[in-house]
Amino acid sequence: MAALEAVMDPEIPVVSVIDMGMIGKVDVNQDGVVEITLLPTFSGCPAVHEIKQDIVAAVAAVPGVGTTLVKTSFDPPWTTDRITTRGRLRLKEFGLSPPTGEGPVLVTAIGLPPRALCPFCDGTDTVAESPFGPTPCRALYYCKTCRNPFEQFKPV
Amino acid sequence: MMDDALRALLLALGDDELIIGHRHSEWTGHAPHIEEDVAFSSIAQDEIGHAAAFFSLVADIEGSDPDAIALGRKPDDYRHAILCERPNGDWGYTLARHWLYDTADDVRLEALEQSAHGELRAVAAKLRREERYHLLHADMWMRRISRGPVEGRARVADALIDTFAEAVAVFEPLEFEEDAVARGLLPVPSDALRARYVERTTRALDDLGLPIDVTIGADRAAEFVASAAGDLIVGDGTNFETRDRSSGAGGRRGRRSEDFEALWDEMTSTYRENPGATW
Repeated sequence: MAALEAVMDPEIPVVSVIDMGMIGKVDVNQDGVVEITLLPTFSGCPAVHEIKQDIVAAVAAVPGVGTTLVKTSFDPPWTTDRITTRGRLRLKEFGLSPPTGEGPVLVTAIGLPPRALCPFCDGTDTVAESPFGPTPCRALYYCKTCRNPFEQFKPV
Repeated sequence: MMDDALRALLLALGDDELIIGHRHSEWTGHAPHIEEDVAFSSIAQDEIGHAAAFFSLVADIEGSDPDAIALGRKPDDYRHAILCERPNGDWGYTLARHWLYDTADDVRLEALEQSAHGELRAVAAKLRREERYHLLHADMWMRRISRGPVEGRARVADALIDTFAEAVAVFEPLEFEEDAVARGLLPVPSDALRARYVERTTRALDDLGLPIDVTIGADRAAEFVASAAGDLIVGDGTNFETRDRSSGAGGRRGRRSEDFEALWDEMTSTYRENPGATW
């Protein structure tokens, strides 16, 4: 598990796959075969392939580990509430407003929250510009207090 | 050895997403304004990701690979609805098709969340959370258009009228559907899904006042009505004609329109030059 703490999201290099809640199950058998289930965040995310490779490299380096297998699964579906508190803090420090919502968000209730926290000035007088941003996981906002545009990790 | 019913279902789902994703991506660099350029590019990326998810299920069972499934088949082997392969046309058509398709996708994903196939159920649940944003986008545009200038309303209204039959054909029965339904892979048969879709779309269009009483040109008003069977009835108030709803049908059995060949050629050209290459 410690090895996985060091595997960072390639697009947001300050958060680990653990902080992002991307690790489903970790099975280790007596022969040192490690099987890890990775839960992709957004299904269109092109970084999943790289993340798998990084996980294999990190875990294979742990003493006693034989073969490392990583498989992706949508069971359970990854949701933004799997991001840890520390993960949210790291996102904010990186300049990404963390996704809102504690606990599972009903599909029917998903929309852009009208206000997201500005990661630069902590202001809440913000405007939702677009649910679509430079990557599948980011929505665009504008902060009326510090007048910076910023991105929010989309709640899903 | 792949089971036919499951394969037919997964390919229909994956191919729809792949092909419409490809069409959406054609707006990149060309959309009317930057926000919509980003929106369609992002939606396209999602749709291709969704196709990959369905093709991965096929690949896992067949022992093949998702890229080969997506890009290595001949045109006759695709199973998407003809709606998806139509060119983007003008912005009015694009918005109408976007709304019609993503509403259909929501109807079927909702049903697939109860599939007897565990992994398909999981994929459907995950994808539906992402598709929610596509639907918000499409709904927003339909609301804007319905309250906007006459030309915009007319273009979208025309597109809805011309395209509704093809959209309904998203729900034509699949190959081996009886088996898929019997086993709960497809928990709700296509006919029932189609009825849900027609009800939902006609009610929404009614609420939007679209395209009722839109004047197209100086001397014609079009009224749009869809019957429960999915037949489209278009009239000018006095004369009604029924559009043949089979015009956009056959996709689930591999029937393709004249629009697909060019799309297939461009979409698969890089892969075909060097099949199996890693990037």
